[in-house]
Amino acid sequence: MASKQASVASFVESAPPGELSNVVADIKALAGNDASLLQSLEPAFRKYNEEQYATVKLPGSSEAVIVSEHNSMGDNRYFDTASQTSFQVEHSSQTASAVQQHPLESSNADLIRSLQKSFSKAAAEHFPSSVVGIYPTSSDSDIAILLVANKYSPQNFWNGRWRSTYTLSPSSGGLKGAIKVDVHYYEDGNVRMSTSKDVDVSNASGADAVVREIAKAENKFQEELNRAFVQLSEGSFKGLRRQLPVTRQRVEWEKIGGYRLGQDIGGGRSK
Amino acid sequence: MADPFDAALDLLRRLPPSQTQKNLAGIISLVPDLEEELLSSVDVGLTAKHCPKTGRDYLCCDYNRDGDSYRSPWSNDFDPPIDPDDVADLIPRGRIRRMEEALNAAVDVYRELYYEGGVSSAYLWQLDEGFAGVVLVKKGASAGAAAGKGGWDSIHVLEVTEAASKRSAHYKLTSTVILDLGLKSEAVGGLELAGNLTRQQEQNLAIHGLREAEVEQSHVANIGRMVEDMETRMRNLLQEVYFGKAKDVVGDLRSIRPLSEAEQERAAQREVIGKMNR
Repeated sequence: MASKQASVASFVESAPPGELSNVVADIKALAGNDASLLQSLEPAFRKYNEEQYATVKLPGSSEAVIVSEHNSMGDNRYFDTASQTSFQVEHSSQTASAVQQHPLESSNADLIRSLQKSFSKAAAEHFPSSVVGIYPTSSDSDIAILLVANKYSPQNFWNGRWRSTYTLSPSSGGLKGAIKVDVHYYEDGNVRMSTSKDVDVSNASGADAVVREIAKAENKFQEELNRAFVQLSEGSFKGLRRQLPVTRQRVEWEKIGGYRLGQDIGGGRSK
Repeated sequence: MADPFDAALDLLRRLPPSQTQKNLAGIISLVPDLEEELLSSVDVGLTAKHCPKTGRDYLCCDYNRDGDSYRSPWSNDFDPPIDPDDVADLIPRGRIRRMEEALNAAVDVYRELYYEGGVSSAYLWQLDEGFAGVVLVKKGASAGAAAGKGGWDSIHVLEVTEAASKRSAHYKLTSTVILDLGLKSEAVGGLELAGNLTRQQEQNLAIHGLREAEVEQSHVANIGRMVEDMETRMRNLLQEVYFGKAKDVVGDLRSIRPLSEAEQERAAQREVIGKMNR
């Protein structure tokens, strides 16, 4: 039973962007009437939502807010600094309820407020759709800067997610974090791209400078990623299967017995 | 409630392709009844084995497996040996084995021409009306840090129905290519591009000659040509999906160029067009 639970939990935790509900429907079809197995998934849902920066809409608001371990208060409650509220999350349905006032209390409150403004504005310059979150860390010494952008196109069999996570130390001006991009394509197949790139910038002081450094690092990463696609295509992909044989001619299958390997082809055989 | 087998296939199409083997085991632990059906319909990465008799490598799949033993296409022996009582049912002979040997030799040449390395194997078995088979190719590449690592496994399952006249045959080909690519660098961090695509094709092709040897040779040539065409087509498709589509989706998520700049440009264009139409 423990291994069954571990399996279904790993299915949930590795669900592609935008496909959690499909994965859950499949699990239900496979688990049949095993209600306790489905109930055991609650921690996996929480882990998925917190790691993937699931977004929820607060009751009575059209703005989406992030769910993550950076704004977790425990017991499935999370806080949002922009609206200065806290809310309860039902992880399996990704819904929020029980909104309460949650005034921002931090020694970096001013910086958090200006980051909120400038980071939202800067994000809108590069992401057609994104949700950001700026949170004081639990010790209040640092500030967590989060962004999630999703683009789902299930009718065309692809979905994608971009996550940025940075920790800013206002005292030293150090900015550290990681960019993660996940793409799933599944038309008559299953192709997954995942990247994780660490970012480390020093001397980022003041909200505007921080936001500028992030945009610079992200632009550079994206340009490098585009170059990496070319590198892989020209490098290892090309080294796997040629488009045409060295002879530049398709195989003459009727005369295949006449090919003298190693001579006609030019390459030696190891066997 | 959805059919468990369909749900299993749907799930495997969604979860990370690099974990298919592990996820397959997880699904089977949930629904043990699906084991046989899933193992014969889900393609997983191929493994190579060494044939002790001929000294050549061959590829393992569900079609040359009996328990923990695999049949070498070069020696036609199972390794480790299987119960002699089962041998008669599991080892091809006569016409099927002759075509299997010819197909292995032909695919070997094909593999050398297109892959310049790697391992290939072909297995055939008798059906009531015709025969079926699988053609496998595996190639790994480690082109150095800058070019990244890669692995290609192709699995072509075919079903051949012979017309009563023996002048033609119907070939149904289901091909899967499993392609794993990866790159680690300071500039891009870790990049994994892994997955598989499956395509099908059916064709009626002529059989040349009347003598049995000519018919057999015709089948081998027809199968070979179909596999070559399909792999060439799939290679282009993989290139498009792995490098074109992935890049486009990232570009849809985030634009390197500021969106306001692009919007201003569009507004300026609209203005020009508006003036021209006046």
